[in-house]
Amino acid sequence: MIRYAALRLLQGVPVLLVVATITFALLRVIPGGPFDREKTLPPEILRNVEARYHLDEPVARQYLRYLGGILTGDLGPSYKYLGRDVTQILADAFPVSMELGSAALAISLLFGVSAGLAGAVRRGRAPDRVLGMLAVAGMSLPSFVLGAGLILGFGLWLGWLPAGLWEGPLSVVLPAITLAAAPAAYIARLTRSSVLDVIDMDFVRTARAKGVSEARVRRHHVLRNALLAVTTYFGPLLAMLLTGSFVVEKVFAIPGMGRFFVTAVTNRDYPLVLGVTLVYAALIVIANLAVDLLYAWLDPRIRLGRSKA
Amino acid sequence: MAVGSCFARALTAAAGLALALACDGFGPGGAAAPRGTLRLNLGTEPPTLDWNRATDSVSITVIEQLMRGLTRLGPGLQPVPALAERWESSADGRTWRFHLRRDVRWSDGVPLEARHFVDGWRRLLDPETAAEYAYFLFDVEGARELNSGTSSDPETLGVRALGPHTLEVKLVASIVYFASITTFMVTFPVRLDLIDAHGDAWAEAGKLVTLGPFLLDEWLHEYRISLVRNPDFYAGPPPLERILGYMIEEGSPALVLFEQGLLDLVRLPPLEIRRYQDHPGYRHVPALRGYYYGFNTLKPPFDDVRVRRAFSMAIDRSQFPTLLRGGEIAAAYWLPPGMPNHNPEIGLRFDPEAARALLEAAGLDPTALDPIRVVYNTDQTHKLVAEKIQSEWQTHLGVRVELENREWKVFLRELAASPPAVYRLGWGADFPDPDNFMNLFTSWSANNHTNWENSKYDELVLEAARETDVSRRQELYDAAQRILCEDDAPIVPLFVSSVNLVVGERLRGFEPNPMDLLYLDQVWVE
Repeated sequence: MIRYAALRLLQGVPVLLVVATITFALLRVIPGGPFDREKTLPPEILRNVEARYHLDEPVARQYLRYLGGILTGDLGPSYKYLGRDVTQILADAFPVSMELGSAALAISLLFGVSAGLAGAVRRGRAPDRVLGMLAVAGMSLPSFVLGAGLILGFGLWLGWLPAGLWEGPLSVVLPAITLAAAPAAYIARLTRSSVLDVIDMDFVRTARAKGVSEARVRRHHVLRNALLAVTTYFGPLLAMLLTGSFVVEKVFAIPGMGRFFVTAVTNRDYPLVLGVTLVYAALIVIANLAVDLLYAWLDPRIRLGRSKA
Repeated sequence: MAVGSCFARALTAAAGLALALACDGFGPGGAAAPRGTLRLNLGTEPPTLDWNRATDSVSITVIEQLMRGLTRLGPGLQPVPALAERWESSADGRTWRFHLRRDVRWSDGVPLEARHFVDGWRRLLDPETAAEYAYFLFDVEGARELNSGTSSDPETLGVRALGPHTLEVKLVASIVYFASITTFMVTFPVRLDLIDAHGDAWAEAGKLVTLGPFLLDEWLHEYRISLVRNPDFYAGPPPLERILGYMIEEGSPALVLFEQGLLDLVRLPPLEIRRYQDHPGYRHVPALRGYYYGFNTLKPPFDDVRVRRAFSMAIDRSQFPTLLRGGEIAAAYWLPPGMPNHNPEIGLRFDPEAARALLEAAGLDPTALDPIRVVYNTDQTHKLVAEKIQSEWQTHLGVRVELENREWKVFLRELAASPPAVYRLGWGADFPDPDNFMNLFTSWSANNHTNWENSKYDELVLEAARETDVSRRQELYDAAQRILCEDDAPIVPLFVSSVNLVVGERLRGFEPNPMDLLYLDQVWVE
């Protein structure tokens, strides 16, 4: 298992290099540069600025310089936030996004799986219909609408929770719920349909016939198998939630890294765009590995790293 | 930008709804603020607090609390003594001597000396610093050569310390407004010993040493910056104990926090201004910021001055304040109100008949003309303005007008490479002297995208920069403005923007500033 995980992580390295290369090329192709300003810079000053960031060198050399930097863990200086390295900027912002993302992940899994299971075992009855409607609402409500609604209700009307900012545990509640709503709804739908697929299968009926308690049947035989589908969704979800959300961070004024996915591009802050892209890609690689390991744990028929005899 | 602006619109709508309900009396009322702490929204992270390298308004706002320069803007936006207690210039206006206060100490106890200015100016102009605003000192002898690398000897720069408290500056030509330039942050003194010790991180919390009314206490990047009162400030410590500057990018969430009593001072997003106009904390002042449309005078039909004048006369500018509702002032002139030498009489008036006659005189059949392409950067306000212009020109001139929007950086690149026939832009003052506005359309200005050149205009602007006589200066700028806005009309000034803020009821002593600078050293919270 450890050998398999190490091998998969090694395979991730070329993936990251390809991502870095494509992003690097795209950034050089899109029109507009980092130092195009409303107040146009005189040519001699533009030359100085470009020289400072090696933008006056041939693109191939810039690319090699960039790759060299990645390999030594140096993502370069930001063009926007002067005097700060991208590594430092991400090190400041990532923990915030991770904290918020982890809370949202926990909420979405807890509510999603419970609601899906509850709906499936009461198929067609009132609770199932209500949960179904809630799930549709959760998936279709844009997060800025939900966020504004929660701010209005719990922040301004009731005054129970802060309407924004990042000042302690209470600040996490509203943004985490906003961020978790859509994935929770999706997980609920996924869990419900997977449970319905499994619930009438022979091995479940066999378990019941053997006198296993209903709670144990649901937990061990039904849910464990139904969770395989949720696990597939878990990988991209993990990467998405941990790297933050542009919208939720803006609505609640949270200093996470989600904003950089948009602002770094509009600022043409090349090193920062490459930095956030690489972090996201690395998380996808790691999350996918985590999913494969989870599969093996959930389904004993899956044997990682071994071909079938 | 597209994602951002789409989101901004949606968010404004959603938060607007929340606010509409909250403002109707459902709010729980503000929580008590710690006495003497001002909580304001800066809007974004200051990209740097290195005053040699900063260029943006948020960095300026913070640096203004932390530092002082030789001079500073006083009432009426005239330069008044700050670190220099007095100054004089030679008869030819090319040599300036600044006499520094003797009681100023940096926050680490080191006394301020004239050499700190020399160090700062050399650093600003050093090509390796790559300071974008180095050109602010290009009027100093040897500055341009040093910055462009044609000279590498810092001794050739026309600034030297004549003693610990006397600074002498030699200019390439007489500049009457030089004491206004020294109010600007890039000219502030620096401590090379600290920059050498800490490298790029010298302007971070825990390392930054300053001498202004406040000191940097904590900087949580992308979230909040905390400044504390400087007990040793040379002019006496300010009333506020602490300033907390939050970095909330969207205006609407910031307003929600203001409503919740978590912020004391926020800027109003354009769509919210109307709602707050009756609020007791509403503060508004016309800004030194002009909004204009430019013609590429090499592209037909705008290569004909009669056509440019006709298009300028076919716009009813008085409708912009009603349309935009941000406290704008319709303007056919270029120098905004509040700027010295402003003259409201200048500019082409709305006269559709005369405009049509001009087109006819130019031999143009509006119906046969190719559609006029108007390009602007993606933004809700710019879109409203462009649609208004489109309707005015179509109605009054009978021409067809096509609007095209571009993402900001794409737009800027297009302006630099090949300006469209008609484009929109704005200009905000860096320092409150007419030269900062009028220089824009000289033949040597990198910001003149019109391809228009007029040697008479160039001469007038140069002469006015050297003119010490107030009434003569007025005449020169009036003549230059007439060429720019009436005779040659390479641009169509449209309106002057406003500063719109709302402050909490416990904030005292705060007034907005036409330069959009926040002066907080005389402000306190009850």
